[in-house]
Amino acid sequence: MSNTLRPYLNAVRATLTASLTLENFSSQVVERHNKPEVEAHTSPEVLLHPLVVSRNESERVLIEPSVNSIRISIAIKQADEIEKILCHKFTRFMMMRAEGFVILRRKPLPGYDISFLITNFHSESMLKHKLVDFIIQFMEDVDKEISEMKLSLNARARIVAESYLSTFA
Amino acid sequence: MRLFGQRFRRELAIFGMSLIRSFALIQPSGRAAKSPSTRLIQASDKREEKGSKMILLESHSVIINDVLTDRFEKPSRADIQFVDYDNVRFHLSTPSSKTQLLLSMSIQCWPDLVKYGARDHLQHEYAGYLLDEANTEPEYNVSLLIDLDKLPESPEAKLDLISSLAHLKSTAMSSPFISAFNEQSSLQASYKEPAGAQLADQAPAEAKGDLKIVKYREEEAIYIQASHDRVTVIFSTVFKEETDRVYGRVFLQEFVDARRLQSLQNAPQVRYSNREPPLEIRHLPGLKNGEDWGYVTFVLSPRHFANPAQALATINRIQLFRDYLHYHIKCSKAYMHSRMRYRVAEFLKVLNRAKPEVASEKKTASGRTFRTR
Repeated sequence: MSNTLRPYLNAVRATLTASLTLENFSSQVVERHNKPEVEAHTSPEVLLHPLVVSRNESERVLIEPSVNSIRISIAIKQADEIEKILCHKFTRFMMMRAEGFVILRRKPLPGYDISFLITNFHSESMLKHKLVDFIIQFMEDVDKEISEMKLSLNARARIVAESYLSTFA
Repeated sequence: MRLFGQRFRRELAIFGMSLIRSFALIQPSGRAAKSPSTRLIQASDKREEKGSKMILLESHSVIINDVLTDRFEKPSRADIQFVDYDNVRFHLSTPSSKTQLLLSMSIQCWPDLVKYGARDHLQHEYAGYLLDEANTEPEYNVSLLIDLDKLPESPEAKLDLISSLAHLKSTAMSSPFISAFNEQSSLQASYKEPAGAQLADQAPAEAKGDLKIVKYREEEAIYIQASHDRVTVIFSTVFKEETDRVYGRVFLQEFVDARRLQSLQNAPQVRYSNREPPLEIRHLPGLKNGEDWGYVTFVLSPRHFANPAQALATINRIQLFRDYLHYHIKCSKAYMHSRMRYRVAEFLKVLNRAKPEVASEKKTASGRTFRTR
């Protein structure tokens, strides 16, 4: 692991752990509503300061805490056209399966590639430190997966080109 | 049989390929054991190496091959319609009797091919089988009539006949290439080296054969031009999807780079230009140069068509270039998809670890369960 990735992930982990203090909170505006405040934006006093942890201009995490929910948006590194396509495909693939990933948001925030929304109900039914582990592991693996896919595409292209051209004497 | 055609088999092959996670596995083994020229000749029949089957496409039609092998043994009725690459349709039927097999082919670029002598070439290759234009089946361009009572006697001759019939599409497509190869040799014969360096500037412009255009798909075409020392084959390609375009560029770049390898020094030179058509065809009207368009140039030198067998192998190989490229783009996409599926399942497992385990019902040794009240 490169020496800038470790502090980056540590910072995200610490921030997430600190901000995952959620409690049940009914809407102050509409009776009998209980909505994630970070999405509903109905009462500004229950929203906390959003925070960006950034490794470089292309890789950053936006954490938006509120009283009963927290939204985490991740921008994944995309160095070139291939990585952009692969990243897009991969995140789309995941978001289409958002019902399996209960904390995954179906759409990312503009400017980010993937967003998670953790509400107090999630943090009550799941272990908090394991949720943080999941986010961190996702961030670690997604970069690895994309660069591996890119390598394998190049390797395949090379084999394909060589085996075609080698049939010409 | 009609449904489980060649396409389906190739799709199966794509699927199979996507399951193989390691590239080393699909690399043809034992390639070094055979010299390239023996492999070339072998590639045109069905004795292809098993390993290379997944990578290289066959130039013959598997359906024609299988059905004819079957019908040559035992005549029976048939009415099969099937397809091949580049909007080629086939119809194999027995209109009058079981022993009269009619094989018809419809090919999109037939008007182009006729211009470059396809009918004469087919007449030469399938003498005795080819029906004249008046008797060609309606809606098709070429018809061959095979009388199963008058087949050659020896099994080898039968196999040769099957193989040549299965190559019907590539034979029809080969006529512009063959005429370009012939043009090249006549140009080479009449070409004189400029007398000296000073005279080189005054030498007349290089003699070129006429540019042959084969519009083998709705939007894409092959351009073939002979010159005194080479034959240039240009493919225009279009990628309909963003992903295909990006993958295609990676693949084509590798085609350009692969020639740096020592072992591939004899391969034709490949050039790839995105958007801008190459100089040879830039004067043609109606060329597209959008972001999705690319032009791939193969420079065939005379050694690629030195003898008829080599020329045939080169033609069969180069015709399939587009199909080969797109086949592998599709394979890569399928492979990526299977990888993503696996990775997403892994992520889901990690997430599910966050859910505390639900205490399962406890049982006594006798199988009774406790219940908390």
